[in-house]
Amino acid sequence: MTELVLQALWSGILTGSSYALIALGLALIFGTMNVINLAHGELVLLAAYVAYTCESAFGASPLLAIPVAIVIVCVAMALTYLLVSRIRANRELNSLLLTYGIGVMLTNGMLLLWKADIRSTKSAWLQDAVVLGPFYSMRSELLFFLVSVVLIAGLWWWLTRTWAGRAVRAVASNREAAKLMGIDPHRVELVSFLVAGLLAAFAGAAIFSFGVIQPALGTSLTIKAFVITVLAGMGSVPGVLVGAVLLGITESLTTTFASSALQELAGMVLFLFVLFVLPNGLFGTRWRH
Amino acid sequence: MQRRALIGIALAIVLYALVPLAFAGNLYLMSMIVAALTIGGVALAWALLGNLGGLVSFGHAAFFGVGSYASALLVMKAGWPIGGSLIAGGVCAALAAVLVLPALRLRGPYFALAVLAYAHIFRIIATEWKGLTNGAGGIGNIPRFPVVFGYDFASKTGGYWIVLSLVLAFAAIYAWVRDSHAGLALRAMQHSEDATRAVGVNSQFLKALMLFLSAFMTGVMGAFNAHYINFLEPDYAFSGLWTMLPIVAAIFGGYRTITGPLIGAVVVYLLDQLVFKALMPIGHQIVLGALLGAMILFAPEGLLSLFRRRRLQQGGVPAAASRNA
Repeated sequence: MTELVLQALWSGILTGSSYALIALGLALIFGTMNVINLAHGELVLLAAYVAYTCESAFGASPLLAIPVAIVIVCVAMALTYLLVSRIRANRELNSLLLTYGIGVMLTNGMLLLWKADIRSTKSAWLQDAVVLGPFYSMRSELLFFLVSVVLIAGLWWWLTRTWAGRAVRAVASNREAAKLMGIDPHRVELVSFLVAGLLAAFAGAAIFSFGVIQPALGTSLTIKAFVITVLAGMGSVPGVLVGAVLLGITESLTTTFASSALQELAGMVLFLFVLFVLPNGLFGTRWRH
Repeated sequence: MQRRALIGIALAIVLYALVPLAFAGNLYLMSMIVAALTIGGVALAWALLGNLGGLVSFGHAAFFGVGSYASALLVMKAGWPIGGSLIAGGVCAALAAVLVLPALRLRGPYFALAVLAYAHIFRIIATEWKGLTNGAGGIGNIPRFPVVFGYDFASKTGGYWIVLSLVLAFAAIYAWVRDSHAGLALRAMQHSEDATRAVGVNSQFLKALMLFLSAFMTGVMGAFNAHYINFLEPDYAFSGLWTMLPIVAAIFGGYRTITGPLIGAVVVYLLDQLVFKALMPIGHQIVLGALLGAMILFAPEGLLSLFRRRRLQQGGVPAAASRNA
């Protein structure tokens, strides 16, 4: 029993780390531009399909697809930014509709290119079991956990120690004051989209390496990222990490003790609980009325 | 006034008599029109919530699915008559909307996303609650519309008359709400919610009412569709298409008008099914996504209002345009 719980906790932390990459991207864009990118999950999925194509068409490891995925997803992110920045009136709501439309295009484009079939990696090396003390996992899970930790640490360093990262935080906390300090907010917005794209590319490769993908998955990835940001409370990087791990653990506990079909529902119940009981999230204060 | 009444009567004759006469022979086209009107009804409900309530929802599929399952199950398991079950389907959808209420506390974009998550929850529940819904296997042989006064309403034309009447009734309700005191308060809230609250308007209550009304209408459309199609499964009843198509239709036609979403639904759905689908069988909705994006960028008030504005500039009657504001 205890072993099962510990194992579920371990798996939850491993998947949660990839969720964190997705949610951080969503939160970053929301922070700088006050725009929720409803196509975010689809862009993550696009990276996953790039990894799939790399493996199925060229026989290369999904890991080698990451640089290609970064380029493709970042270009898509930049295009999304260009379109969103052209909205003049009522940007908060119109950007939702616009990115929703982009999401619909991406989903159908993926359907067109890769069909509705469920895909997963065929690499035995990635799927091999790795035993660490009492904990089991796939090699891909452990690998991408480490990658996520490095990326999150890097993001943390970038946001707190570099000029560009500080500019992102400045625009997020007070756009007008940031302008007065000589920061070009448009440039910062673009940078936040590109960084989100970078994180999304890694997350996509991760999801393909230890899970299954199909074109309809995009929406549920966006929802997961949203649930995490609600758990976290807006504008809190540690909150996103805790929220992501919490969601991962909730899902893996449900899979272990109930059924995998209910795992998404469990995440939603967590979401409702936070919405009712802690409407400010675990760490945030800013996003309510 | 008399001219308006004449136009109304002429329109009613065209819609109720001429359309069925012209297309009844072509069952495929007739079923396309019925589906377009079903989506039009949801688009109208979605636009009502957006225009009067100021809320953008990405989860109307939840209300549609709840309405369709509720009506089908009430008829099949509790022996309700189909007319009553349509209303009950709407009521159940409105009850489901109660669960969305905590999301009303959230600011605009968060509400939109929260409702998206809710739609997901309802689909999973419908899939997993096998005792009630038969899970992913779905429900077949849902009772059809009955024969009334010797006319079989289960036919394509019968379905057309029912859905047309529902949609027109919804449009009338929408117009009535918009022109009521509540509608005035709701429109004032669009400009400044704080100022409206200051003069004693309970803004949260009015928004919640609009949410219930929108959910009710969507639920009734779902219930209609269940008895018209006679088959339900969670992935169909709660499909994201029931959210996506109405949004594209309402934005295309102009979500701040009453006729816009309906005309938008007919145009968008028929284009999608008869043209785009013929050109590319898979993934044809990519065009609808592009259409939605283009509308938001170039004509966020909808194509109809674009025409209307042009007419206005050419010396039309301003009062006619402001009625639809």
